[in-house]
Amino acid sequence: MSAPILRLERVTKRFRGLVATNDVSFAVPEGSICSLIGPNGAGKSTIFNLITGYLPVSEGAIYFRERRIDGTATTDLARAGIARCFQIAKPFPELSVHDNVRIGALFGRDGPRDVAAVTAAALTITGLTELADRNAGDLTVGYLRRLELARAIAARPVLLLADEPCAGLNATETEDIVGILRAVRDGGVTVLLVEHDMPAVMNVSDTIFVLDAGAKIAEGTPDAVANDPRVISAYLGTPDEAG
Amino acid sequence: MQLLVQTIADGLVLGGLYALSAVGFSLIFGVMGVVNLSHGAIVMMGAYLAWFMWHALGVDPILAIPPVMLMLFGFGYVYQRGLIQLAVERSSHVASMLVTFGVALMLRNLLVLVFSPDLKSITPSYAGHPLVLGGVVFDPLRLAALASSLVLLGALAWVLQKTRMGRVIRATAQQELAARLCGVNAQHVYGLTFAVSAAFAGAAGAIIGIVIPFSPPDEGLWTMNAFVVVTLGGVGSPQGALLGGLLLGIMSTGTSQLIGPSFPNAMMFAVLVLMLLVRPAGLLGNAFAGSR
Amino acid sequence: MLSAAIRAHRWWIVATVVLVGLAACVPFVLMPFYVRVGQLILLSAALGLAWTLIGGFAGYWSFGHAAFIGLGAFAAGLFEVELMKGQPLLGFGLGLLVGAGVSAVAAALVAWPILRLRGIYFAVAMLGVSQVLAELNNNVDIFKGSMGLVLPRIAAFGLRPEAVFYYILLIATVVITVIAFAIKNARIGAGLMAMREDEDTARMLGVPTERAKISMFILSAALTGALGVIYAHSLGYITTSSVYRTEFSLNMIVYNLLGGMGTIIGPFIGSAVMVILTQVVLGQLLSIHMFITGALLVLLVLLAPKGITGWFRAGLFRKRAGGAE
Repeated sequence: MSAPILRLERVTKRFRGLVATNDVSFAVPEGSICSLIGPNGAGKSTIFNLITGYLPVSEGAIYFRERRIDGTATTDLARAGIARCFQIAKPFPELSVHDNVRIGALFGRDGPRDVAAVTAAALTITGLTELADRNAGDLTVGYLRRLELARAIAARPVLLLADEPCAGLNATETEDIVGILRAVRDGGVTVLLVEHDMPAVMNVSDTIFVLDAGAKIAEGTPDAVANDPRVISAYLGTPDEAG
Repeated sequence: MQLLVQTIADGLVLGGLYALSAVGFSLIFGVMGVVNLSHGAIVMMGAYLAWFMWHALGVDPILAIPPVMLMLFGFGYVYQRGLIQLAVERSSHVASMLVTFGVALMLRNLLVLVFSPDLKSITPSYAGHPLVLGGVVFDPLRLAALASSLVLLGALAWVLQKTRMGRVIRATAQQELAARLCGVNAQHVYGLTFAVSAAFAGAAGAIIGIVIPFSPPDEGLWTMNAFVVVTLGGVGSPQGALLGGLLLGIMSTGTSQLIGPSFPNAMMFAVLVLMLLVRPAGLLGNAFAGSR
Repeated sequence: MLSAAIRAHRWWIVATVVLVGLAACVPFVLMPFYVRVGQLILLSAALGLAWTLIGGFAGYWSFGHAAFIGLGAFAAGLFEVELMKGQPLLGFGLGLLVGAGVSAVAAALVAWPILRLRGIYFAVAMLGVSQVLAELNNNVDIFKGSMGLVLPRIAAFGLRPEAVFYYILLIATVVITVIAFAIKNARIGAGLMAMREDEDTARMLGVPTERAKISMFILSAALTGALGVIYAHSLGYITTSSVYRTEFSLNMIVYNLLGGMGTIIGPFIGSAVMVILTQVVLGQLLSIHMFITGALLVLLVLLAPKGITGWFRAGLFRKRAGGAE
């Protein structure tokens, strides 16, 4: 078992009375793909915001490679090797796909190195090479998601935070994204995923963390989680209830 | 003490005028998100139209206000639907601001060509007999100006709150898409809003013409003035314009007294920058908050 | 990165060198009127370029850059008149540094707060700043704004005055163009473009947005200030209203809009068209200059928001902006 690349220790986040994150602890092993799941409002996006320093923690600590990072500026995290893709894709609309990805390569971990090669590799892994010269603003949702991933991958992260990359995609597009995530993991990048698409999550994850109402209610392999009664009652529903 | 009271009184009188001259600008910004840099030019158009009616036709400037408002209402509607709408659609709000800047230059040049760059003023028969109330000196012209301003501001507030047109404008400002889905022709509403704004700007111009000598380059100052009033008092409401106007008026006369008569403008711009940095939505905030 | 960009643009660079060579011959070949027109084109293009460092590259459209022209002009003017009596050339050289320096300091002072604002708020705030400075310059006596300041005359190498300023402006323009080219093709240039598109996302990707926009703002101010010094000397006598002019601020934007916002060649095309239009074609019709500028601005925004370069690029296969690596 590899050392955890990311560790949350009793992290709590309060917004003036609302407890968005409640004493959450988990560890993401290096080189794995882990997923964070839970009903809407469970606090998954908040966790991402806490990790990337967009929000400060109220209590607890977050460790990246055993170095404390909660409260660090976002730009420094990008340089330390944490990249994030957003739920709502935010391409640079007037720049080409290639130039979008190149930004990731220029400002990623350890500064600009082999920018052209890294950009090309990121485009290849996400299957965007043919579209490299197209304006990012012209892409459809499926390709925009890939662009988000490509841009993040070009930053040569060691940890990739993917926020609902399969949202709104059909089965084929979802498979493509899952394939990309696997390829990224095989290339040595750890992936932490927030997702609602259960088949995809069960398919690709090594470990799943389940949140409900801000607290972690379960953790384990896909099989263990799928059969955990707490998870079923909170989120998945019994086999009879499930569609 | 007497001086302080006089300064404040003068400031309030001036402030009422500032408020009226800014309310149209405020409405456009609040309802459409457009910064109309030609606002001051429209105010000047009102002044010149009133001057023309007084000079050539002998019409009392206060009586000239309704026809001036009517003419500029039409102008405003055409201007918005013909030009500004296009700019917003083609580009962005910054671009529409540039368009209005261009129009301001064009109008300024036109005014210079038609009316000459010399200072003009409108001096009706009741000018020049100061009133003294409780030891404070009032110029009856400025009092008449203040009274007209307050009446017009009140009328606008009434229109926005109580009439169907006012409700439609407010609804479209808060949620354009929803309003459209309810059958509102948003383009027409924006045209109307601009028309109303231009009408009130023109009225302000007519009143300004009585109180202060004017010339075409003043248009820049009145636009900036409107921006400061809005930044101070809040966007989109006559109340905000009144608050901002009165504040600016007092600051103006106060600066004149305390620092020197040539410094009110510098003070005004400094206040603008400060407010933009600290509280861009103004003291009363955006009356249509939530839509932008 | 930069060497690659130079290789990618080598034909442009060759063409530019040839053009500069031709431009250098102008004072010997054309009449003084045309030399002055050339001066104006160079000054306008240089101002447009200086503006676009923060405007076109970073996306922060300042509506008040005339502030730095005025600051540079008066800072250098007062410095030279009070402290450099009898040494006009040295005074001018140092005056350039003083003008640029004062503008840079002023920019640095307002940079952090004012760059919190975006879009129209930033634009108007800068307009406000330039108006405050203009008012202070005009009303506070030590600045001699309303009285006016007479600047020392510069003469060199026995050249006619308009030729002297022509060459000064030519050199200044080349310097600013090189700076703009270097920035655009360096890593910071890519960062600025990303920032222009979406500042928050750019920051998330590791672009040092704060550092980038503050440094561009200060650099832009310094270069504009230096140009203000040159402009002041070419006038010979300056007052507040001759240097703190809103229309300068506006023109800087118009040149870029006309030629193509965010490009380096844009300000050159824009200034050439505008100056030739107003000085040569409409030279006799001074009374409608403002009207023409205004009308042009309206037409541009409505019909050609991407400017003349935009016309060329539309329909062509989109070039990679950064060039080969």
